[in-house]
Amino acid sequence: MLMRRSPGRRLRTALPLLAALVVLGPLGWMWASSFVPSQYAATEMGYVDDGGVPVPGGHDHGGSSGGVPVASLTGDVDGPADVAVTLVARQERFRLATGEEVDGYTLNGTSPGPTLHVGQGKLLEVRLVNESVAGGTTLHWHGVAVPNADDGVAGVTQDAVPVGGSHVYRFRPGHAGTYWYHAHQLSHEQVERGLLGALVVDPPGTAVDEATDVVALTHLYAGRRTVAGRTGDVPVPADPGRPVRIRVINTDNGPIRSWVDGAPFRVLAVDGTDVHEPTPVSGTAVDVTAGGRVDLEVVPPATGAVRLTVGGASALVVGPSGAPAPPPSRQPEAVVDLLHYGTPAPLGFDPATAARSFDYAIGRRPGFVDGRPGLWWTVNGHLFPDMPMFTVAQGDVVRMHITNTSGEVHPMHLHGHRMVVLARNEVAASGSPWWVDSLGVGDGESYDVAFVADNPGIWSDHCHNLIHARDGLIVHLMYAGVTPSYRIGGANSPE
Amino acid sequence: MRTVYRVLAWIIAVEVLLQAAAITYAVFGLGKWIQEGGVLDKSVMESEVTAFPEEVGFMVHGLNGQMIVPVVALLLLVVSFFAKVPRGVALAGTVFGLVVLQVVLGMFAHNLPFLGVLHGVFALGLFAMAVVAARRAALPVGPAGVPASVGQATAI
Repeated sequence: MLMRRSPGRRLRTALPLLAALVVLGPLGWMWASSFVPSQYAATEMGYVDDGGVPVPGGHDHGGSSGGVPVASLTGDVDGPADVAVTLVARQERFRLATGEEVDGYTLNGTSPGPTLHVGQGKLLEVRLVNESVAGGTTLHWHGVAVPNADDGVAGVTQDAVPVGGSHVYRFRPGHAGTYWYHAHQLSHEQVERGLLGALVVDPPGTAVDEATDVVALTHLYAGRRTVAGRTGDVPVPADPGRPVRIRVINTDNGPIRSWVDGAPFRVLAVDGTDVHEPTPVSGTAVDVTAGGRVDLEVVPPATGAVRLTVGGASALVVGPSGAPAPPPSRQPEAVVDLLHYGTPAPLGFDPATAARSFDYAIGRRPGFVDGRPGLWWTVNGHLFPDMPMFTVAQGDVVRMHITNTSGEVHPMHLHGHRMVVLARNEVAASGSPWWVDSLGVGDGESYDVAFVADNPGIWSDHCHNLIHARDGLIVHLMYAGVTPSYRIGGANSPE
Repeated sequence: MRTVYRVLAWIIAVEVLLQAAAITYAVFGLGKWIQEGGVLDKSVMESEVTAFPEEVGFMVHGLNGQMIVPVVALLLLVVSFFAKVPRGVALAGTVFGLVVLQVVLGMFAHNLPFLGVLHGVFALGLFAMAVVAARRAALPVGPAGVPASVGQATAI
């Protein structure tokens, strides 16, 4: 009977099989080709993008022959340290300053860790000791243009420090301003659970007066918003009429909106760079993107205190002790637009002379990453790990066109450099030079930025919504002639 | 194969109920948390550490909707090619199409909230389609693979 099967019957058997193959075949192929090698150097990821101009000697994608290894890029760090600190990282249950218990990570027993102060150009030495962080850890100096070997990215600029191990960072911060430090090993988990702290670089020759200079690092601990490690209203004693500088640091994965009741305020600095001729504003909020910093100036009035609301749930009450503070208020509709805030000033370089121009187009599509199905972030249409490797030569002026059509905001963070915003949605910047290392790119927005490639190495350029970075929204900026010293995978899991 | 088809279709129907239950549970929990002083922002939304217990509803809805339901719908489609359920391929194809539409709306319509209305309405359509498919597969088959009582089937 089997032998005398009619062609029609054979077709009826074959057709379902064929249909199943048509449906499942492409999926299987996509799945099979999505796997990420178990260990790889950052330079082996994706494909070279030279921004339209060949890079001298830049064909060496693997970057193994000759060249300068990342580990040797330590900068000018001879001599004794001006500031030496040891930070001991622990995985433990701990209490916030206001008493709530948190299961997370501490540095020297607290989270946030100690606020570090160092003078501009002075040599800072931080010895990181991992006492009990099981996954290993590192410290990244967010916003500081450190030499590449001190950047703290596991698998790219160092190996993760295992339990019982230690690592020494030595660098001279070049720009006074507000920065922060955090783990860059399993960062989506370690940062969220508290392995972080503030770093303030003081202007040369002046010691910061802590009575008029306040660090307002905000962090979300298991759904509880904190400022300076405390939930609720945080009192800041201050004299009437005396300006107070408040350094708001957003250590979370989403943007934070801040506003002031009781007095006008000025935006003194963004991401560690002073704003040129900032004007007072009132009834207006300011956005701090994830990973970003904004320094605000408030002057307590003679009659009471000023309320600085940070992200809706927390506030600083700045003024004489016991002075009446304005009640919590609804967030203002208006937001300071840094594209037009302040007045222009020289950049120190000419973006029109850019040697290279890169596109960084963020999108989203269904597919497989490392065998896992999902809706993944894309860069220039590619899924992780098939990402562009933005390749530059030292001294290049570089432009980047960042677009976002992915449906969500992305706080884009370039390591080791600061970028200046030239335009948003094709509208040219008209205010103070808007220097950033963390730039919130909203859905449907585009930004044109420029920077000088003056810090050789291999630098992460990723979304600082660290969940997104873990899910593959990460590329690298690569200098021609620099070769990798470390490998991602195994014990090194930077995101 | 018909039994597999029927079971998969019922799983999808139950999954739709689970999706509705999970999202309602989460939204109610969110409301309670805010009443108690909680503040929702992007960082809370992105956080992988739960702020309130009912937040698990959002995770269930997301994981279920993006992974489990599409996989079951895909399996249903593949099985439909072999199951010889009357109009089974068309029904499974419709179910799969609706699932794709729901995933797309769920992921991309957040900036166009009025499309969320469709997400809710299509869920009912998907539930109905899955039930119809399951019941079609339950009908006894005649000698030539034709259901014994087509009239009954259309009456469902």
